[in-house]
Formats: sequence, structure tokens, C-alpha cells
Amino acid sequence: MVDAILLILREVLEASLVITMLMVMSRKFSIALNWIIPALIFGVFSSWLLAHFAYDIADALEGTGQEWTNALLYLWVIIAFMLIAAIIASLLFRVPDRVKHITLNGGSIKSHRNLLVLSSIFAVGLSLAREVAEIWVYLGGFLHQPDLLQPALTGGVIGLGIGMSLGVIIYYILVFSSVRGFLRILFIFLTFLCGGLSMQIAKQLLQIGFLDSAGPLWDTSNIVNEHSWLGELLYALIGYDSTPSAVQVIFYCSAVIPLLLIVLWNWHSGNRRHV
Amino acid sequence: MKIRVLLIILASLISSVSIAEVPEFTIEIRDHLFFPSTLVVPANTKVKLIVVNKDPTPEEFESYELNREKVIMGGAKAVIFIGPLKPGDYPFFGEFNPKTAQGVIRAQQ
Repeated sequence: MVDAILLILREVLEASLVITMLMVMSRKFSIALNWIIPALIFGVFSSWLLAHFAYDIADALEGTGQEWTNALLYLWVIIAFMLIAAIIASLLFRVPDRVKHITLNGGSIKSHRNLLVLSSIFAVGLSLAREVAEIWVYLGGFLHQPDLLQPALTGGVIGLGIGMSLGVIIYYILVFSSVRGFLRILFIFLTFLCGGLSMQIAKQLLQIGFLDSAGPLWDTSNIVNEHSWLGELLYALIGYDSTPSAVQVIFYCSAVIPLLLIVLWNWHSGNRRHV
Repeated sequence: MKIRVLLIILASLISSVSIAEVPEFTIEIRDHLFFPSTLVVPANTKVKLIVVNKDPTPEEFESYELNREKVIMGGAKAVIFIGPLKPGDYPFFGEFNPKTAQGVIRAQQ
């Protein structure tokens, strides 16, 4: 049962953080939270599809289908996060201090609002698709071991409960912050997340031999081991990898640098407006 | 002209990749155990690992040290490229049965 708790917690932790941050974002922008329902339905349904066709996907493209599917899912989530990050970057230096909520109304801002909602649905749905598919596959294995099914399901529910509880705690910590403060946290979160996901794409391509790499650039497993709780949390937050290869670092930077340039450009434009 | 040169370089890269001999090693999963549990591979060489899951249940081959993670369905097999590795031990485990499914890749000169 402990194994099931840990496995499912690991799978839902990142999704829980993503859902929490995007829900707080909705509250800050006075957007109704009902977009979460299609996002969850989309996520659970697509995860079931991935699990149901797991054999076919794994066999596709000469046995590399699983990695290509994961890489594509990561890519779409990165695009959705980048769109959200680009929109909030434009507001980072324009939102007044100490305001708890703003409304995205009028002109181009209103179209931003629709894009934010659509990107959030995609980001949550596709994040869930990959993570929850693994849970379906894991639990499906217990159909062959009926005596172990109930402890696994109980462990799964506990793991899910812990993951959701963490999300609720973070939600209530952040929802009372100022819009400006939260947007800064969200931007940093999205930047690291995009970097981490991009690194995961590299990992998939290395795994199937599509990309080659020398040994790891560094090894920080003595400082923060990926097995540890801190390692797991850092993995969920910033895509922490204790032994990344050069290719992974290049992929990480290729996602992070455009976002840093976007924020710098907005900061520069904001300063020019003030002058 | 430039495009032609680029195509020639690309073609030579692809052919060099396909011609290059990558040593293959097989690991089996039986009763939630890895066989062999210690696999010796050449150091500083890219290696093709074929993991055959003989169990009816799925397993996830995972290694933080090797930076690899792949679900292998029951009765199926998977290919995972690893390395080049420096000499040393690289533990791996089955994420779905971590108590029993444990193994080590040993990279030797």
C-alpha cells in the first residue's frame, strides 16, 4: 500500500501544483473556475485512451511510440504554459501594488482572457493525460492480482488525497496574496516548469537513441538525491535532475531563455512608458 | 549549393549512426525480479538495453542514476538506450514493484 501511495503521489504532485497555480490565476483575474471541469474530463479521458492503447503506442514507430507520445505531450504543455507566461508577463509591470483581483476586460485583454482559459484547459488536460495514464496502467496490473487490488486502490486514494491536500493548502496561501506578487511567483513557476518539461523531451529522445549525449554535465545527487522528498518536490517544481546531460541542459535553456527575454522586453517597455 | 552540402552532411550523419555498432544486452522481468540483477556493460559506450517483461503485469523500468524511465506492459518488451557510462554501478528498479525489482548496471572498462 505504501508503494501505491508514493507512486500515485509522485504522479499527481506536479498536476496538483499546476491545477492549483492556474486556479489561483483565474481567481486573480476574476475568471470563473468552471474551466477546470472540461480540463479534468479532457485529462481523465485522454489518460484512459493512452492507457487503453498502451501496447499499440509502445509498439509503434519501431518501439519508440511511448517516448514520441510523451515528447509530444510535453511539447504541447510547454506551448500552453508559454502562452500563459507571455500573457502574464505583459501584466507583471502594469498591475498596481496590493490589488487582490483584477478584471481582464476590453479590447485585446479580453482575447487574452479566452486564450488564458483555453491554454489552462490544454495544460491541465495534457499534464493529467500522461501522469494519470501511468496510474491506470499501474492499477490495471492489479487486475491479475485481485488480492492486492484493494490495498493498491486504498493507497492510490490516500496518495491522491495527499496530493490534492497539498494543492488546497498552496491555493489558500496564494489566493490571499496581491496580484502582482502572485503573478511573479506564477511566472517563475511556469519558467522553471517549461525548462523541466523541455528537459524531459530531451530525456525521451536520448532514451530511444534519437539523440546522443556524453556523460552527465554534473552530479548533485550527493546534495539533493532525486529519491528524497526534496528531490521529488524539486522535480515537480523546477524539473530537477541530479545528473543532466549536455543535451538536456540545452533543451532546458531553449525553453527558459525565450521566457526570460519576454519578461525583459516587458520590463523595458514598462520603463519606457514611465519615462 | 549550400542545401546540397547540408543534405550530404546530414546523410553522412544518419548513415554513420545506423552503421555504428551498438552492443545489445537483454534483461528479463520475471515474478517482479530482474534477471540478471547485475548486468555488466562496457564503459564509455552507448548500449542498447532490451527489457523483456515475462510477467503478465506491467512494470516501469526506472533509474535516477541512468536518467531513464519506461513503462513495459505485461508480456511486452522495450528498448532503452543508455550511456556512454563512466565506470561504476548504476542502480535501477521497477517502480511498480520497488521492493523486489532491483538491479544494477555495472559499467566496466
